[in-house]
Amino acid sequence: MKKIIYALLSLSLVFSLAACNSSDESGGDGGSNSEDQSITLAVWASSPAESNALEETVSSFEEKTGIDVEIEVIQDNFQDAITARFAAKNAPDVFYLDAYVAPKFIQSGVLLDITDDVEDSADFYQPLLNAFKGEDGNLYALPKDYSTLATYVNTDLLEQAGYSVEDVPSDWEGLVEFAKELQTKLEDGQAAMVFDGTMARHLSAFIASDLNPVKDDGMADFTSSQKALDYLQSIVDGQDDGYILSPQIDLGMDWSGAAFGASKAVIMIEGNWVLSALKQDYPDVNYTILPAPTVNGQQQTMIFTVGYAISKDTKNKDAALEFVNYMTGEGQQQWSEGSGTLPTRISVAEKMNLTEDPDLKEHVEGAKYGTPWTSGVTLPVISQSFDNQFQAALNGDLTVEEAMKAAEEEANAEIERQQ
Amino acid sequence: MSGKRKLLQGYTFMAPALIVIIIFTLVPIIYALYMMFFKVDLLAGTKTFVGFENYGKIFSDPKFWAAFKNTGEYVLIVVPIQTMIAMVLAALLNSKIQFNRVFLSIMFIPTLTSSSAMTLIFMWLFNNNGLVVNLIESLFGTKVQFITNPDLALAVIMIMNIFSTVPHFMIVFLSGLQDIPPVLYEAASIDGAGKVKQFFHVTVPQLMPVTFYVITMGVVGCFQIFDQAFILSNGSGGPQNSTLTFTLYIYQLAFTSNDMGRATAMAFILGIIIFMVTFIVNKLMKADQVNG
Repeated sequence: MKKIIYALLSLSLVFSLAACNSSDESGGDGGSNSEDQSITLAVWASSPAESNALEETVSSFEEKTGIDVEIEVIQDNFQDAITARFAAKNAPDVFYLDAYVAPKFIQSGVLLDITDDVEDSADFYQPLLNAFKGEDGNLYALPKDYSTLATYVNTDLLEQAGYSVEDVPSDWEGLVEFAKELQTKLEDGQAAMVFDGTMARHLSAFIASDLNPVKDDGMADFTSSQKALDYLQSIVDGQDDGYILSPQIDLGMDWSGAAFGASKAVIMIEGNWVLSALKQDYPDVNYTILPAPTVNGQQQTMIFTVGYAISKDTKNKDAALEFVNYMTGEGQQQWSEGSGTLPTRISVAEKMNLTEDPDLKEHVEGAKYGTPWTSGVTLPVISQSFDNQFQAALNGDLTVEEAMKAAEEEANAEIERQQ
Repeated sequence: MSGKRKLLQGYTFMAPALIVIIIFTLVPIIYALYMMFFKVDLLAGTKTFVGFENYGKIFSDPKFWAAFKNTGEYVLIVVPIQTMIAMVLAALLNSKIQFNRVFLSIMFIPTLTSSSAMTLIFMWLFNNNGLVVNLIESLFGTKVQFITNPDLALAVIMIMNIFSTVPHFMIVFLSGLQDIPPVLYEAASIDGAGKVKQFFHVTVPQLMPVTFYVITMGVVGCFQIFDQAFILSNGSGGPQNSTLTFTLYIYQLAFTSNDMGRATAMAFILGIIIFMVTFIVNKLMKADQVNG
């Protein structure tokens, strides 16, 4: 009996070892010229248009350089997965880096400093580039594309209510008043305006209202500016009186774009990511795009940007650098046109004549004066506290002032615990 | 000698499962016990020894107490209700009603649905323009907001969880019911007990060991509730921490706060709590003294 078992065990060992060997033999001669170099690129799952554009642009790069790029699509929560990969010392060579979490990655020292390897960095929109700079002023990622917020107006619904686009005010206070008036002329189940209550959409409005929610020392501040509190109060009042509504909670739609496309909302302040849905899923909807409303007399909008970062421990540093430079340089036009995202280089934007495109004009303009959604290492904690507590103000459980005080205290206590 | 050989044989057969359990369960648990005394930065891979500081931080965090309150409430409400409903339904299905196989199949569907899909369906039902809210409005004329109201957001998750776990426990009870000797029911009916009395005086006591299993599994499952709360609040545990559960808090510590040391310490606390609750349930129900 024993002998049989040993024989079986040793046999299975031999087989498994043999299997390992045979798969390793295809490794080639180990030449390190770029002919058989390969890098891994980790990306999150996105729309079919973006996935196709990425594959096509990567193919162009592969043809040009002979470097093999392996695209890894991470389906679950991307940031968590990447963090875990770094912890396991199994990081991808190149990966998407959201500006929002960039400070944490930069501070941890796991990214390659690419300051000296960028081609023509003056050509990038500077707010986008600055989003990926560390406290040392060095650059750790290159922006691949960006989105900005703009005001979308459903012209059909507007005209039915007896207004024209010229009647839509360009400042926030005016827009709120206008929405209030407009609501009285709409049918049940329609909202004059839909909003998103997360901090990601309001940071630039705070800054325009003389409030920097993330202070220089990384601590939270939501209460020092009365103007910012008034701004939030106007949203709360709008929701209470039913003219500024949340698409998911009040209208039962998946997101703003669907509410707008289904003619349930007249005005929304959204990013250019809604355009593909408006064109494909709701082709009959007529809309005009205006700049995001001014707050406190200042032009403001949010910029959301994602960059390509290279992990410090990559074994193919040169190939990775070449790839990142290609995707944000020579290949950028192909990527932008295919995916419908906005190019981060001014020269590419000019070449594509984006300012002639009525759909994209305002979004591109926004890159010059917008605020990137990133603000140091503590922003994730601060914005989580805001989202948690602002909901209480929207419910009417707390006043805006109480909710903001609670958010500030909650965030600061957590930041102190993290020290 | 033959004893040793038997031992070797046994371990050889168990080897594949043992190796998997050791690598993927035991080693991480032991590693977590070690990590909870450190401040860990996952990204940078740095560790500094802090002793019991992680525990101090957790107990001074109002979020911990919010999670404690929510999860405690959740267990106290969900476990008894789901156990009772499952038991009653099982008893009904065990009697000779027609089409009970069909009933069984239909009732089992919610258990087969993934909890994320179920959450999305429930969010769609309970949002402020959803079926339930509009129904209440047309019946009573008041608009009740569920998902944004901190007092009711957790209730939505409770209803959802009861709905999706009852069928599974019902099947467990059903198999327990098959084991009760029919003689007992005959004797009870000769003594003049009706259906209801039979249920309370024969079925319930006889099912005690099964009930203990169901309650224990229910408690463990409820303490570990995560996905529903995560989806409903978009990971924030809001509104006002009302849907923050222990596991969601652990997740936030690990990934939002990037503090694996505190997350493992919190996981250890949760383990102790589950152990204690199970121990108390065991003592109360005297599960080991029931004549099965």
